[in-house]
Amino acid sequence: MRAPEEITARNARWMNVAQKVGTPMASVLLAMITGSLIVAATGGNPVLAFTALFQGAFGNPYQIGETIMRSTPLIFTGLAIAYGFRSGLFNIGAEGQLYMGGLAVAWLGIAFQGLPWFLLVPIMLVGGALAGAAWAFVPALLKAKVGAHEVITTMMFSWVARYFVSYVLNGPLKALGPDGKPGTVPVSEMLPAQATLPKFTAVLPFLPSNNAHVGFILAIVVAIVVWLIFRYTTLGYEARAVGFNPFAAENGGVSVARTTIMSLCISGALAALAGASEVMGVHGRLSDQFSAGFGFTGIAVALLAKNHPLAVIPAAILFGGLSAGSGYMQLNANVPDKLVDIVQALVILFVAAETIITWFIKQRQKEATKHG
Amino acid sequence: MASPPPGIAEILNTVLQPDLIASSLRIATPLALAAIGGTICERSGVVNIALEGLMLIAAFFGTAAALAAPTALGVSPVAAAWIGVLAAVIAGVVMSGLHAFTSITLKADQVVSGTAINILALGLTGFLIQVFYDRQGTTDGAATLPPLFVFDVKASGALGTVWEWVNGMFLGHTPLVYVTIVIAIVAQWAMYRTRWGLRLRALGEHPRAADTVGINVVKGRYVAVLMSGALAGLAGANLTLEQVGSFSENMTSGRGFIALAANIFGRWTPVGSYLASLLFGFAEALEIRLQTFAAAINIPPQFFLMLPYVLTVVVLAGFMGRAVGPAAVGKPYEKE
Repeated sequence: MRAPEEITARNARWMNVAQKVGTPMASVLLAMITGSLIVAATGGNPVLAFTALFQGAFGNPYQIGETIMRSTPLIFTGLAIAYGFRSGLFNIGAEGQLYMGGLAVAWLGIAFQGLPWFLLVPIMLVGGALAGAAWAFVPALLKAKVGAHEVITTMMFSWVARYFVSYVLNGPLKALGPDGKPGTVPVSEMLPAQATLPKFTAVLPFLPSNNAHVGFILAIVVAIVVWLIFRYTTLGYEARAVGFNPFAAENGGVSVARTTIMSLCISGALAALAGASEVMGVHGRLSDQFSAGFGFTGIAVALLAKNHPLAVIPAAILFGGLSAGSGYMQLNANVPDKLVDIVQALVILFVAAETIITWFIKQRQKEATKHG
Repeated sequence: MASPPPGIAEILNTVLQPDLIASSLRIATPLALAAIGGTICERSGVVNIALEGLMLIAAFFGTAAALAAPTALGVSPVAAAWIGVLAAVIAGVVMSGLHAFTSITLKADQVVSGTAINILALGLTGFLIQVFYDRQGTTDGAATLPPLFVFDVKASGALGTVWEWVNGMFLGHTPLVYVTIVIAIVAQWAMYRTRWGLRLRALGEHPRAADTVGINVVKGRYVAVLMSGALAGLAGANLTLEQVGSFSENMTSGRGFIALAANIFGRWTPVGSYLASLLFGFAEALEIRLQTFAAAINIPPQFFLMLPYVLTVVVLAGFMGRAVGPAAVGKPYEKE
């Protein structure tokens, strides 16, 4: 026999877990139902569409590899956004930091290509992360010192980064064409093999053919590191304190300005790793459109994970799967792949408005009392 | 041989034309409409990050309606363009209704709700281009709005030059350019000289006090958010039906965020928002004209394209400490 209060405490804990896992799942389900309605309303077949989407994401080893490949940058950007949210910051400009990370690794990989891989790859990754941190630094400083809202400044910096990458790829880093003159396509030279992240199949040749690369392992390691930072370090404690209540944190002796700058820069570094791993693991070079909006999908990933660094991993795999399946769906169910963006937005909406479920229940009760 | 670099005189002569002011006004118009929408919304205590998405979705439905109207309703191209404007406003209002519902009724995080709408707008417009037109990227061109005034006046001499400048700067615009100026002035008057304006400002400063004296906080905020949707819708219509006619994916390219910055720079007032937008419009018009010299003065064109975004950050950085927004902005209202 247990004491009743012990049972209630246990129940409360289970309720808590159920709520933490349940509302995100309900949000995904609601988003998919709404997505189905949109497909049906525009003359498509929702069952066919979502079956194709699932097959495209997990139907065979190759497609599973695509899902892993596409979820890799999303783990990084999801962590970046989650780190910001935990510290009370909305890093909506992760896309820009991602591009700067990609730019930095492309430059470092070409500049130091004489080095062996065990030196070159770490230098590139650290350099890429620093580039992202640097790109976030000015918005961070402006937030901390004059209170300029990071949503506007990081977004503006995102556009500047896109144009800067475009300039670099049309100027200093532009690949030469076969005739030795500057080429026509705005891409960099291919990185040498020792400057790339190898595919799983290169390390474990018995695996069936697919495009997943070791950046995925790196992403999981970084997720664990971020989790440890929040759980066990002063850095993480101060970030959470400022995110929870800046005034109380300041009173408790935490420098809000310093923590804000630190957090946004770390967020920028995490976002930049997404760009680094895409350039080093997928494309092998820098191009001006290498990101499929990973910085923005990271928002959905972080929210779905409720900003928990480890929960970011399954959330990223879900959105990576949607992305991998979208092309397959367009081909086989004749539904535009943009459906996935719609579902993504709806997930954000439903997670943000989780009270929608209680609201519906209340409305029902109101009506019941009216009619009853 | 490269041609010799252009002299200052040549640059000035090319840049300083009546068209510079005219295009400043043109570029400022959608920014100002969205910024005034943002002002009204934030004054009521609701953050509207969704301006970008509202403009985008309105621009799409405006174009789609203007494209469909001639065959569906058998109307003239000009009437079709106006039907497009109406459709854009309706689309803006409907989408902002979603923002109002999530952030006021469901008390969701307003910034996150706005972001969801931005992503939804991007996805939905891309999706619908494929469904409606069976292609990706852009739609066909619809009929655009004609200029409001067409004067066939010929004058010569000094008077002729003056007329040419006045006509070139101010008189060749579509009606929306003038409507926006009127909206800025009327909104300013309404915000500071009417009961509605007093109540609106109370909602954003101290909703509890407003509630205590019998103002309906929820209703007041709904009205403000829907108004911002209508204005963002008009801004979206302006993006497509004013000059280009066609809709292309993500064509707002950050304008919703620049509009938010203009609202802050304009100290959360309608006329201030208009003037700030005019500054951004002027910067962009100048940048477009200077781009013709990009090759000659050896500055890559991308650096010109960055300018509006850099200017926005500079303005925010220089101004932020001194501008104070509504006290209760961003906080859902909890009735006791």
